[in-house]
Amino acid sequence: MFFKPKIILILSAVLSVFVISILGGALGDSFGFGFLGGPMPFISIAAETVFHFSSPFSYDLKNSTIMLWIAMIVIIILSWLATRNMKDIPSGIQNLFELIFQFWIDTADEAGGKSARRFLPVVITIFLGVLIFNWLGILPGVGSIGKVETVEEWVHHHSHSGHCADDYKSDHTMAELCVLEEEYNHGFVVFDTSGSINLMPLGRGETTRAPLNAIGGYVPEDISKIKKKIKSGTAPENIDEFVQIQKNIHDGKVVNLYTKESDGSISPQSYLGKNTGELIPFFRGASTDVNTTLAIAIFSMIAIQFWGFSSLGFKGYGGKFINFSHGPINAFVGILELFGEFAKTISFTFRLFGNMFAGEIVLISMGFLLPLIGMMPFMGLEIFVGMIQALIFSMLTLVFGVMAVTSHSEHEDH
Amino acid sequence: MASEWQPIGAALSMGLGAVGSGLGIGMLANGALQSLGRNPEARGPIQQSMILAIAFTEAIAIYALVVAILILFVL
Repeated sequence: MFFKPKIILILSAVLSVFVISILGGALGDSFGFGFLGGPMPFISIAAETVFHFSSPFSYDLKNSTIMLWIAMIVIIILSWLATRNMKDIPSGIQNLFELIFQFWIDTADEAGGKSARRFLPVVITIFLGVLIFNWLGILPGVGSIGKVETVEEWVHHHSHSGHCADDYKSDHTMAELCVLEEEYNHGFVVFDTSGSINLMPLGRGETTRAPLNAIGGYVPEDISKIKKKIKSGTAPENIDEFVQIQKNIHDGKVVNLYTKESDGSISPQSYLGKNTGELIPFFRGASTDVNTTLAIAIFSMIAIQFWGFSSLGFKGYGGKFINFSHGPINAFVGILELFGEFAKTISFTFRLFGNMFAGEIVLISMGFLLPLIGMMPFMGLEIFVGMIQALIFSMLTLVFGVMAVTSHSEHEDH
Repeated sequence: MASEWQPIGAALSMGLGAVGSGLGIGMLANGALQSLGRNPEARGPIQQSMILAIAFTEAIAIYALVVAILILFVL
């Protein structure tokens, strides 16, 4: 029974996929294969800038913002489909939404009685939003399809934002030199331009990175010399080194990369003269940007404070934090509670961000180690984690809301 | 400010952070399962408060993870 041709076919297909994925991944790379492994390098904590608008006002369009808009459209379409023609006996997507709402109504009744139902609009908004953000973030193509930013563009962007731009507001050359000096170790991905399409390298991961100074062909001391020359009055276009560095960065080719051997001698690395750049993904999961999660956390904490003040009054709710009438210990407890409110915001932010960002890194790493199949169990895990995190975020909002409207004296009656 | 000790720091941060929250989640699941065994009808509330408490506990490991990522990629 075990040797039916169908079973043997399926087993051999599974086995061959397994072998291919091991050979194509990071393990096979050390034996000279490694044709499938995804590139490792695109782990960036901050969201990347896809477009830079400068004409009406300066604005960096981040890839997580684009994803946020897509998520908004998805939520709007889903809600429209669910409420388009509502029936007494629900079916399809209306049924799904009624399930979600019924779940939250039951949870609210359990957590704080019937009066807790007034928190539900905010709670369910957060739930649906975070759920869609999380699930859209793990779609294939998010974070892996994008454009190549050249080294010149990168230096240009960085000289327009950050503290280098603030320090040298009027002097663009100095701002650029400042970026070169401080980010000389920033690595760019080396890729091959022999074909007609520029593709990022596969299967070699972090080893195919070249630092900025190897592309420009300078050491940071050169930059400080150029800075001194400019300060003493020489125009930048008259300094030969500066012109050469500008040209090298414009070409974006590795000109100066050597490895130091243990005996002190230096040897040129194999990808001298290859092109470099950086992948800017078009999409990035909205909840893998710390700004998104911080915004939701602040929104939720403001809603909680509003509920507290509106139901207990200014004196009743404020008395939880500033309370000198019951002795020094209670005053200290009140101050602790005040700090607790800020700690809640921070913990809201980093719980969601950390979970989703870590999930993305796990997916990237598995695509690198075991391409084709390594991702699959983690995809399932990420779907689960995405739902649990949305549930936790909104459940905590509900529970904190119930805690905020419970008055202090009521507590003491127990 | 890259230093050769950075990976050690990141690994220590993540590893020690995971010890605490791993122990904590284990204890939580232990308590929840025991009370489930004694009182199987209370599955709903027990499960819900267990998930909430696990979220709080797990957050500690997530902070450690964020610190580890910061050490590796930002500092």
